[in-house]
Amino acid sequence: MRITSPGDGVQLSRAPQFLLASLRGRLEVWVAVLVILTAAGFMLSRGVGFSIGLMTLFTLWGMLAISLNLVLGYTGLLSVGHIGFYGIGAYTVAVLTTNPRREFLGDEVIQIFAWPFFAALPVAVLLTGVIALFVGLVFSRFRDDLYVLASFGFAIISLNVFVNWQWVTRGPFGIHEIPKPAIGGFVFNDDLEFLALALFFLAVVAIIAWLIVTSSFGRVLKAVREDEDAVEVFGYRASHYKLAVWVISAMMAALAGAVFASYTSFVDPHSFILLESIILVAIVILGGLASIPGALLGALSFVLLEEGIRFIPLLPPEHVGQARQIILGVLLILLMLFRPQGVAGRFKL
Amino acid sequence: MTWESLTRRARPGLVLAIALSLAAVAYIAWKIGESPSQALQVTINGLNVGAVYALLALGFTLVYSTVWFFDLYYGAAAAMGAYGVFYLRSGQAADQAYDPGNSLLNIVFGVVIAGVAAWALHTAFYERFRPRYGRTLLRTVGAALAAAAGLYGALILWLPDHLHLTTAPLVTAFSGVIVGLTAYWLLRRFRGEAANRRTAAARMSAVIGLAAGGAAGLFVALRPEASLYLSWVVSCLLAGCVGLALYRGLYVLILLRARSTLIMLVATLGVLLTVSALIVIIFTSTTHALPESLGSQPIAVGGATFKAFAVFTVGCAFTGFFLLWLLLYRTSLGKVIRAIGDDEQVARVVGINTTAVIAIVFFIGAVYAAFAGILTGQDLAIQPRMGLELLLKGWIASVVGGIGGLYGAIVGGFLLGLVEQFGIWDISGEWQDAVSLLLLVIFLAFWPKGIIPRT
Repeated sequence: MRITSPGDGVQLSRAPQFLLASLRGRLEVWVAVLVILTAAGFMLSRGVGFSIGLMTLFTLWGMLAISLNLVLGYTGLLSVGHIGFYGIGAYTVAVLTTNPRREFLGDEVIQIFAWPFFAALPVAVLLTGVIALFVGLVFSRFRDDLYVLASFGFAIISLNVFVNWQWVTRGPFGIHEIPKPAIGGFVFNDDLEFLALALFFLAVVAIIAWLIVTSSFGRVLKAVREDEDAVEVFGYRASHYKLAVWVISAMMAALAGAVFASYTSFVDPHSFILLESIILVAIVILGGLASIPGALLGALSFVLLEEGIRFIPLLPPEHVGQARQIILGVLLILLMLFRPQGVAGRFKL
Repeated sequence: MTWESLTRRARPGLVLAIALSLAAVAYIAWKIGESPSQALQVTINGLNVGAVYALLALGFTLVYSTVWFFDLYYGAAAAMGAYGVFYLRSGQAADQAYDPGNSLLNIVFGVVIAGVAAWALHTAFYERFRPRYGRTLLRTVGAALAAAAGLYGALILWLPDHLHLTTAPLVTAFSGVIVGLTAYWLLRRFRGEAANRRTAAARMSAVIGLAAGGAAGLFVALRPEASLYLSWVVSCLLAGCVGLALYRGLYVLILLRARSTLIMLVATLGVLLTVSALIVIIFTSTTHALPESLGSQPIAVGGATFKAFAVFTVGCAFTGFFLLWLLLYRTSLGKVIRAIGDDEQVARVVGINTTAVIAIVFFIGAVYAAFAGILTGQDLAIQPRMGLELLLKGWIASVVGGIGGLYGAIVGGFLLGLVEQFGIWDISGEWQDAVSLLLLVIFLAFWPKGIIPRT
């Protein structure tokens, strides 16, 4: 015999409300849906070429955001210096792959590498790793504010090197005509092909990051973030873990830089100024600390913001950059006021 | 300290630090031997730059050692100070090429001033007068006074060419109060503490203050050429007001639930981004020279030449240090500030209005930053990026000197200036930032407490 309770029918009719209630506290889902829908609508309205460009930018910022999130979100170290590694990666690929035409240096032809992209890429990543190891040897002793200050220092020193080491980087002129990647006669010349390559690299970075954060290594990183002294008491050398994640993250940033160099086929110091690094920090915090999907969400929102801001009516075109900066600044303040972990984050600064 | 205690502690960092210092000394000695006059020139340049860094480090250290988080608005305040002078004095530019007159900006600053005035009146008088006059009357009068202050501030900004007239009341009030208070202090100090003597001293010092204030106001009002210096004062005060308003209106709210200092750092980073973007929008990103150059006649000493303004800059650094030292170690407010720096919670428990005191600290810090920005602007040129650059230099100087200490700030500032100038002697000047940041990293790595550690 079936016992009917008076509540049955009521429960059934409340089902949609339960669904809503389970989503009510989940800002990240709503924001993600909103951002993805906006992106889709935007891309549909602007055509295929625009969409491919937008997606490629998204993969670049996505790689950078994941790499910084390993350091900032999972380990709790606020680094403003990642743009330096991005730049080192980009410049290494640029120097190694171009046929140098040194007009402005007169007859001094200094080096001719003209390597293929896929040979230069591992060199760029490894070189950045070695540099990051030496930088990190110093940095892994700091925490909190002093870490920020030191990483500021690294960003500015690396920018200084890009601008002033003209013998290699050609200074403010930049390096032109960086070839597109080619493998066995197949050249990633088309934008769509290049996007596929970039997405592949993004996937590699995301998978490596995911493997790191779900491993025991990742758990120690989170413990370092929560309480460095306690981790030391348990017998882990916190500074070794900080150093390791710093090097890995720097190599990811270098990978992004390498892809960037061959995407734009032109590298100059202006892409690696401190402001870009601050924007990267804003992206990571906006998307969500200690969350890989969050990093991607932050990157997508930023790319949308950057491209969408041009279509705001009444905004003079020369103030687009400043409008972007103001929006990011106000967003940072609001996030720190109301949601210090970012949209999809699991860790409050 | 014996040799055993040194070696037992086994600090390779210390050894390296000593080696680096010896190398630096040897390098400088070699350079002096090579060309003494040029070494003198570089030293003078270093002192000139270092004075600005020292001023920055002083204000920065005052704020940092009170609240213990990095306030990045500090950099924006430096840029605001310089651009404030540019805004107020652009009518004096020879070519009149640029007129930044901007009603919206004047209104915004008027509102900020009104808010700060309302806050100051409320903090100083509300609780004291409430039992006698009631809430409504006090609020009405306070709002009216604050609105008047805001209108006055906006008026000053609206008539930049008549600065000597519009700021005369301000000068009268300021110098009257300062002279009066000094007179009161002196009279009480030298004529005893008895009650009747005290009233007499108060009466006498009030008369002295009124007379001095009136004289100063009249003096300024009759001298249009004082406008440049008045624009410095107005600009510093504006930056200070914004700093105070930011702390009281924004940082306090974030601090209520902040879990770490990084939150404050990121929030103030947002402030810095916003303010510097606004500066670019209003004044464009090109480099400007301030309309009037000052003290540009060269002085030659032993083969080295420098501008007279350099002497003024160095003097300002030492005056700034002395004033801050007086404030911190010779006044009751300074004692309270140091108490908050030691432990804010305890300070609050013993009845200190910590929010009000910290707000004052933010005001003073922003004034120091703005003044350093003005000195840079008068000496070289102004550009929107200067805020971040000066912030970094002040930051580095205070870390090198010993973060949170007053003596460390001035020593660190001059040391940073000298190292920077000696460092770029042989290589191109573009490496200036890299040299100073290298110094920072070396200090952070091997000597994180700085030259004069805070006790």
